[in-house]
Amino acid sequence: MNAPPRRLTLDDWDARYGDLRRAGLREPSYGGPLRRHVADGDHRLLRLQFDNSAAALRLWNFLLTEEDRLHAARAEGRRIVGAMKDLGTVPVMAYSLPGVVAFYPDGAWWTPCVMEMSDELLAVADRMGIDETFCPVRAMLGAFVTRRHFPIPDLLVCSAGAVCDDFSAIAQRLNGLGHPILWWEAPHRSEPEPDEEAVPLPGGGRAPRAQVAFLESELRRVGEALGRLAGTDLDDARLADGIQRANGIRRRLRELREACFTARVAPLPALELLIAEMLAIHFCSDLEEAGAVLDDLLDEVRRRVAAGTGFGGADAVRVYWVNPVADLRMMNRLEAAGGRLCGTEFLFSHALDGIPEDVPCWEALARAAAADPMAGPARDRAARIARDAAALGAEAVIVSRIPGASHCATEGGVMADAVRAAAGIPAVEIEVPPLSDAVAAQVSTRMEALFETARARRGCGT
Amino acid sequence: MIVAGVDAGSRAIKIVLYDTAAGAVAGRASCDQGVRQEDIAARALDGLLADLGLARGDVARVVATGYGRAALAFADSAVTEITCHARGVRAVAPEARTAVDIGGQDSKVIWLDAGGAVRDFVMNDRCAAGTGRFLEVVASRLDAGVADLGAMAAESAQPVPISSTCVVFAETEIVGLLASAADPRDIAAGVQKSIASRVASMVGRRAVEPVVLTGGVALVPGMAAALAAALGCPVALAPDPQYTGALGAALLAAEARA
Repeated sequence: MNAPPRRLTLDDWDARYGDLRRAGLREPSYGGPLRRHVADGDHRLLRLQFDNSAAALRLWNFLLTEEDRLHAARAEGRRIVGAMKDLGTVPVMAYSLPGVVAFYPDGAWWTPCVMEMSDELLAVADRMGIDETFCPVRAMLGAFVTRRHFPIPDLLVCSAGAVCDDFSAIAQRLNGLGHPILWWEAPHRSEPEPDEEAVPLPGGGRAPRAQVAFLESELRRVGEALGRLAGTDLDDARLADGIQRANGIRRRLRELREACFTARVAPLPALELLIAEMLAIHFCSDLEEAGAVLDDLLDEVRRRVAAGTGFGGADAVRVYWVNPVADLRMMNRLEAAGGRLCGTEFLFSHALDGIPEDVPCWEALARAAAADPMAGPARDRAARIARDAAALGAEAVIVSRIPGASHCATEGGVMADAVRAAAGIPAVEIEVPPLSDAVAAQVSTRMEALFETARARRGCGT
Repeated sequence: MIVAGVDAGSRAIKIVLYDTAAGAVAGRASCDQGVRQEDIAARALDGLLADLGLARGDVARVVATGYGRAALAFADSAVTEITCHARGVRAVAPEARTAVDIGGQDSKVIWLDAGGAVRDFVMNDRCAAGTGRFLEVVASRLDAGVADLGAMAAESAQPVPISSTCVVFAETEIVGLLASAADPRDIAAGVQKSIASRVASMVGRRAVEPVVLTGGVALVPGMAAALAAALGCPVALAPDPQYTGALGAALLAAEARA
């Protein structure tokens, strides 16, 4: 069952799945061979390379069956909340209530990433005036129109203010299409003035007390709406329990990241680590199962670390990666070019930090929301990236941009400059559209040149 | 020992043979890039070797670089053009701290440390602005050769501003300028200035002197001067700038064999 780590194509996985089944693989209800998702339209799987562990199979199956879970929830009479833009706050509240399921319709931006253009979500968005000058999250609009993916939520909640401008525009268009949205304001995080009381935030930042208090009042307003939807109050006891359970996911992810980033040989491919980290914000519509999936992955990673096995060898260049990619093949390319992950910042570092459990629960959630890297200035995010990259022994930093995504259009340069200046680490920016074939050679050259530079620096001790 | 560096660029293939015993270039050649990249490169390499009375078996190691490097199966290894240009610049201008390479399809700025190693680099994004392709399109529109553009630009009394950075839009802009009877020499100078300005924006405020210009576009007369004006500092032209990457590849091949 526990074969040495290897990268598999989808064809390889067919054979591996048969072997695992014969060896007595026990699967959850959403289990099965990866190949079946291609029949559902996930064509990108044909062009990826996967980790060969049963734990990775479970992770992929969990990810690719989220829509099934949402439809089942609707059929079972559970209430569905569409949380938008906040990246890891509203689902904590929603999963604190009985009979409520939350998911991120924004996650539809991944649909073209796994289905390529077969589902035409981007084409639908085009026809609605939200064209390629916008972030690929516009795919969400297409998903609401075609109704072929997730069920239409019973309640849509969206943060506005210090969030991605593109998304605000897209969400307003959605509102105009007859999908009412409960808006809440995420204020731009500012440095406390000398005469203002400062509140420490998860991850090491701080914010003015007044901002955190405002956020708390906004979250309480959302909580009241969620309570009305659930038919029961979201009281302190429930929220505190929900925070504890969310922290359980975050703790597992921190352990997974630490095990992966500090291992001599990378025990998990970059692609699977990216997928796993995403669970921090959306739980893939099942918080408890997300924990079980992560437990399996952690077991596998610990086994590999103990055995000293993994991917890329000990010589691989240690790379700190910033922002998620729209074309998943890019994570495979990182390793093909001779790199490995030693740190990541996929735009939701605040969803990996534990939510404080030693302060009143509503304030704790407000502090966690205030720590959102997108809510603050780019220099704050850049400073944390530079600090983390240095602490994790990064030899190179890759800042990935998503075309049209306004929140990272200019941030990339700020972050790359910060790691160069503060940590003396070479950095490159790359831009990765959902279909990256046209830029693949150029991006590969940048990665390879970055790694050649990093290796050359080993020799001269810089 | 003879080693080879093959720079399979987007517009041309450049080959440098290096004699490690003599510590000098033994020969070099270039040819246009084409569809069957490996065949074209192999023929060019064999032709150069034959001219020198050598055969493939006399070559101890081949390092490929450039956009088509992965296609050259006969090479012993492939190294990016960033590293190769840096190595080439170290050989021909060891004092350089910034190397600007303007190639057929992309442009790059490489910052070098005192030992000539790459400290950092940037490359142009997506479009062909600031590359040799831009010059080709313009030359075609002006009914001139790329090599003639420099001489034309030198005679310009007042360069015409080219506002479009996209090659396609710039071509349209030039058609409009020609229709309004703009002097082709002023257009040529405007284009040169536009490319230099584009490259200067990649350098930003990080130009560390001395700055050296490499790549095929450096052969266009006036390009180094245009870049110097845009950067606000002197820019030296690398000797035989189109061969800098191939030379670097050959030197890396020699070092790998040492």
